[in-house]
Amino acid sequence: MRHWFRSYLLLLRWSAIRLRYLLSLVLVVQIFLSVGIVLGFAFLLPQIDSATARYLATGAPTLGLITIGMVMAPQLVATAKTEGTFTYNQTLPVPRTAVVVSEVTTWLVVGAPGLLLGLLVAVLRFDLTLRVSWLAVPAAVLVALAATTVGLAIAYAAAPPVTNMVTQLIVFIALMFSPINFPADRLPEWLQTVHQVLPFQHMAQVVRDSLTAGPEGVSAAPYAVLAAWCALGFAATLHIMTRRA
Amino acid sequence: MLYINNLTKVYRRGVRANDGISLAVAGGELLGLLGHNGAGKTTLLNQVVGLARPTGGTITLLGRDPVAEPAWARSVCSFQPQAHAPLTGVTVRQAIESIGRIRGGHRRAVRRRTTELLAALDIEQWADQPGERLSGGVRRLTAFCMAVVEPGRLVMLDEPTNDVDPARRRLLWAQVRELAAAGHGVVLVTHNIAEAERVIDTVVILNHGRVTATGPPAALAPDRQLRLEMSGTAAPTVPAWALRTSRAGDRLTITLAAEHAQLAVAWATSMTSRFSLNPVGLEEFYLTLTANPETNPDATLVS
Repeated sequence: MRHWFRSYLLLLRWSAIRLRYLLSLVLVVQIFLSVGIVLGFAFLLPQIDSATARYLATGAPTLGLITIGMVMAPQLVATAKTEGTFTYNQTLPVPRTAVVVSEVTTWLVVGAPGLLLGLLVAVLRFDLTLRVSWLAVPAAVLVALAATTVGLAIAYAAAPPVTNMVTQLIVFIALMFSPINFPADRLPEWLQTVHQVLPFQHMAQVVRDSLTAGPEGVSAAPYAVLAAWCALGFAATLHIMTRRA
Repeated sequence: MLYINNLTKVYRRGVRANDGISLAVAGGELLGLLGHNGAGKTTLLNQVVGLARPTGGTITLLGRDPVAEPAWARSVCSFQPQAHAPLTGVTVRQAIESIGRIRGGHRRAVRRRTTELLAALDIEQWADQPGERLSGGVRRLTAFCMAVVEPGRLVMLDEPTNDVDPARRRLLWAQVRELAAAGHGVVLVTHNIAEAERVIDTVVILNHGRVTATGPPAALAPDRQLRLEMSGTAAPTVPAWALRTSRAGDRLTITLAAEHAQLAVAWATSMTSRFSLNPVGLEEFYLTLTANPETNPDATLVS
């Protein structure tokens, strides 16, 4: 266990040094994205009532986390694979779980500032009062974890060009066809069914519920679905990392 | 230290990369693994360090099985892969120290060893430059330092001298020799045969996944053969004493038996003053064994 923790910390430091410049850029992109959704989507809608504001204000940080975990993280892994970093890390005498966990940790840290700033803009723009429950932090962490583990699994499994295409597709689906910024009942029925399984709707719901807790209370189901996605993503990532040619 | 017995690796698509390879490396021994592109050298190393799983045969490392215990194998074996090390955004020193620490070294010891290595390879002037600004050779030397800053009992180096300038290649060979002198087993993959010949203890030549020759370099180089090289002559008639002849551009190379040395010198002098006569080395032996067109793309057989 001591070896694991030592490896984890050293890997974390190693990727922090390595990605320092890149991460600040990622941070800026993510902040723009969150702010863009809050301000930009408002132009699409003629009138913004409190329900719409609630969706937009909490949808923006959710999409920020999705972008970090399922688009930027996999794209960086794809680059790392092209550069040989992936293979190099596999030759290091460190537990493979420590590699995955340190990578996930890095992305959780990167996601946090954009999330907070997006939320702040939303509150100012819509004059919204948040009712932040104690679940807000666990919910955000769970969303980020699910997004990152699934994103890394894709990047580890697929060839780099495929990863880049899939991530474009994900951001497109998440932005336009997922009930993140709007209620699910606006979608056709078949798509609603699909979103019961996909993580996007559940991600939006746990963030929304934990930040603007309604009187109806918090539902456990989306947490369970997201936990399942996390487990799946982590297992797949680990399987690919320990697989031998 | 390392025993490989009848190792066979067939990839899923049916490529037979290793075909019944056997070899042994003792502590303090420097084994050079030579072979054409695709001969199976990297595949062999990957199996020792647990990146690839053998199809057949056994590997024994320090009395244990690295195939069954890949994590343990990685802890006793340091590996410089052929691919470039991840250096984007990190300085040379940071990269070497980070890997030294990750490999289990103590902070101060790693820092001292890093400074020593940077000096020994004469790359101190780039020590604090980030990787993306370095030339290929300095990147390769950095990767070498990363592999040997906290060396395992077995050190495996996959083409460590690629892109490195001649002066620093010598410094690198000296470091490799020092590793062996300190008791580490060293497996070295290289195409730089002429230089490797002088540092390695044992050579193993792979050809299409099989060992075609093994032994000390001096024992392998063909006995009493000479190589006559001359340039700037028109295509002459090949003399009767020539064993092998090849031409690359205006450069003619003839292999001959040692007893024909005088004939050869007389013949060459009659045509040009620009010629040399040398004993045949490992490289020639290697070329005759593997007949690899990639090594000498311009060569065309005259006789």
